[in-house]
Amino acid sequence: MHKRNEKLGWLFASPYLIYTLIFFLFPLLWAVYLAFTNWNTIAPEYDFVGLENFFSALSSETVKAAFFVTYKFMIMFVPIVIIGSLLLAFLIHSLPRFKGLFSVGFFLPYLASGVATAIVVNGVLSYNSPFNEQLRNFGLDIDWLGSPILAPLIIALMMAWKFVGYYALLFLSGLESIPKEIYEAAAIDGAVGWKRFWHVTIPMLYPSFYTVTILAVGLMFGIFTEPYVLTGGGPEYSTHTWQLEIYNQAFEKLNAGYGTAVAIINSIVTFVSIYIFKKLLEKWGAKHGWE
Amino acid sequence: MKGLKKLFAVMLVLLIPLTGCQGSGDEASDDSENENVVEFEFWAAPNPTQEAFWKGMAEEYMKENKNVKINVSPMPESPSSEAGIQAAIASGSAPAASENISRGFAAQLSDSQAIVPLDEFEGYDDLIANRNMEGSIAGWEFADGHQYVLPIYSNAMMFAWRLDILKELGYKEPPKTYSEVIEVGQKLKEKYPDKFLWARADLVQPTWWARWFDFFMIYNAASGGANFTSGSDFVADRDAGIKTLTFFKDLNDNELVLTREATDPFETGMSIMMDIGPWTFPYWAEKFPELKYNETYTLSMPPVPDDVNPADSKTFADTKGIVIYSQASEEQQKAAFDFLTWVYSNPENDLTWFEKTNLPPARDDLSTNEAFLSYLEESPQLNMFAENIPNATPAIDNEKFVEIQEEIGKQALNPIMKGDKDPEKAWDDMVDAISGVLK
Repeated sequence: MHKRNEKLGWLFASPYLIYTLIFFLFPLLWAVYLAFTNWNTIAPEYDFVGLENFFSALSSETVKAAFFVTYKFMIMFVPIVIIGSLLLAFLIHSLPRFKGLFSVGFFLPYLASGVATAIVVNGVLSYNSPFNEQLRNFGLDIDWLGSPILAPLIIALMMAWKFVGYYALLFLSGLESIPKEIYEAAAIDGAVGWKRFWHVTIPMLYPSFYTVTILAVGLMFGIFTEPYVLTGGGPEYSTHTWQLEIYNQAFEKLNAGYGTAVAIINSIVTFVSIYIFKKLLEKWGAKHGWE
Repeated sequence: MKGLKKLFAVMLVLLIPLTGCQGSGDEASDDSENENVVEFEFWAAPNPTQEAFWKGMAEEYMKENKNVKINVSPMPESPSSEAGIQAAIASGSAPAASENISRGFAAQLSDSQAIVPLDEFEGYDDLIANRNMEGSIAGWEFADGHQYVLPIYSNAMMFAWRLDILKELGYKEPPKTYSEVIEVGQKLKEKYPDKFLWARADLVQPTWWARWFDFFMIYNAASGGANFTSGSDFVADRDAGIKTLTFFKDLNDNELVLTREATDPFETGMSIMMDIGPWTFPYWAEKFPELKYNETYTLSMPPVPDDVNPADSKTFADTKGIVIYSQASEEQQKAAFDFLTWVYSNPENDLTWFEKTNLPPARDDLSTNEAFLSYLEESPQLNMFAENIPNATPAIDNEKFVEIQEEIGKQALNPIMKGDKDPEKAWDDMVDAISGVLK
C-alpha cells in the first residue's frame, strides 16, 4: 500500500518534474557548460576556455558596475517599497468598506507594461515637458536622467510605484490576520498608539516582512526593462544592471559563453545576498518569538 | 495496478500533443505532398507593412512557380530581431532567408558561417545588373571579398533644417561647412537664447547604434566615406576623424547642442537641425502636418570641413538587406535566391516596396528610373534620399562592430561633448581601445 502510494505520488508530480527537467534543469546544465566555452551560439565550432570567461567577468568594469548598481538600487528601492506598501496596507485596512476594490486598484500598476511606463516617465522628464518648463520658471533646471544620482533614484521610484500595490496586499493579509485579542491584551498592558504599532503590529507582521523583503531584494537582480528603455544603463553606468550586462554580452556582442558566465556569477551573488537577508530577517523574527 | 496503468496511459496521451508541437522547416519540406515542391521559410521584418509586401511577393511568385512553396512570417523579436535570429540558428530552426539584416550583424553571422555568400550563386551578376545596383552594392563587399547581403533599402541619412527659422536668421539655405554651421548656431543663440542648433541626448551616451546617426554621418562627410576597419585592421582616416571630433567640440563649446532627452525638439522649433531618415515623414504627416518640405523645413547632406567641397559630402547609409542561411538545404538556398532574382528583376516590385514602406530601394537609378519618377514627384522630400544612395556608406563590416562603436562613444564622442578631452587625445584613446577590441 505504501509503495503504491509512493508511485502514485511520483506519478502526480511527474508533469511538473518533466516540465522542470525540460525547461529549467537542462537549460541550467547547458548554461553551465556554455560558460566554459567561447561559443556565440551561431558558429559551428567553439573552444573550451576553462575559467577564462569567469576571470574576464570578475575583472570587467561593466560587471563591477552592475554589482554595485544593484546594491545602490536595493538601498533606494527596498526601504521605499516597504514603507510605501506598509502605509498603503494600513490605509486600506482602515477603510470601513470597499477594501477589495481599493486593493485591486492599487495592484493595477503591477500589471502595467514596464516599457509603457518608461516611455511615459521619459516624456514627463524630458527637457521640454511642461513639468520641467515650470521648474525652469522657478530657476530649477534639473537633468533628471543625465545625473548619476537622480537616474537610479527615478528608476527605483518607478519600480516602487509598480510593486507597492502588490506588496501592500501581502502586508494587508498580514494585518487582517492579527487577532484582535492580541491588541486587547496589549491595551490592558498599556501598549497603545505608537507603542502598540512598534511592539505589537510590526512584530506580528513578520511573515509579511519576510516575504516582501526577500521578493524585493531578489527583484533587484533582475532589473532590465526600465533602464533598457529609459537610460540604456547610463549615465556613466549608474543604471547598468546585471541583466543589461548579460543581454549586451549575449545578444548584442554575441559573447554567449561570456554572457552565461556573467549570468552564473549573478545567480551566485543573488543567492548569497538573499541568504544574508534571510538570516537577518530570521534573527529579527526569532527575537519576537517567530521560529 | 490496473488503475495505475490507466493513469500512465492518460499521462502519455497528454504528453503527445506537447511533443507534437515541435517541428522545423526541414521536416515540413519532407512532408510535402509533392516531392518536387521545394518549401522554404522566409522571415520578414517584424512590422506589418514589410510582412505584407513579402507575403504579396511570395504569393505572386508561387502562382508562376508551382514547384515552390514559400512560408513568409515575421521574424521573432525576443527581445530584438537579432536575438531572435541568434536563437533560431542555435536551435537549428533558422529560415532559408530573411530580410532586416544590417551589415554589422551580417558580419557577425558570416564570421560564424551562419550565412552563405550570395555572389557564389549562379545569376548573381545578372541580379545586380538587372536591379541597377552595382554602385550601391560596392560598399557592401566584405573584407573576404564576398557579398553576404543583398541590400533592400538604403536610407542615405540627411540633416533636416528648420527653413523658417533659418530665414528668420537671414539664411536661404542650410549651412554646408563646419564654420557656416557654427555661424548659424551663434546667430540662433543671439536671437533665441532658449533654442538649440541640435538636440541629441545620445551624444553623451555610449549607446553603440547611436554612432550611426551622429559620428558616422559627420565622419563619412569629412573622409569621403573612408573605411573605418578592414578585416581586423583599424584603417580610419585620422585627419578626418580629428576634424569630426573638433566639429563636435566646437558645437559643444558654443553651447549649440542640447544633450538631454527632449520630446520632438525639431518639430516644435526648439532645435533647428536634426539627423533624419525617411521613416520620419509618415510621423510628421500624422502629428505635425504643418511641417512642409521647402517651406518650414529642408534637407541637406552632412556638413563638411571648411577645406572640403560640400558637393563631395558623403553620409551614413542606414540600410538593411536579405541574407540566405547556411542551415537551409542547398535546394532551399537556391530556391530562395531564385525568388529574390524574380522579385528584383522588376522595378515595379521596388516601387511597391517604396510606396508601402517609404524606404528607398537600394538602386543606383532610383532618382532617374521612370518607374519611380511619378512617386518621387508626389513625395519630393524623398528625392534627396534617392539621389544620395550612391553617396551613402553602410555600417562597418566587422563582427566586433558593437564593441567598436561603443568605444567611439566612450573614448571619443562622449568625453568631447562633456568637455573632458581634446580631439587629438580623444581620437588616440579611441584608436587604442578599438585596436584592443580588434586583437
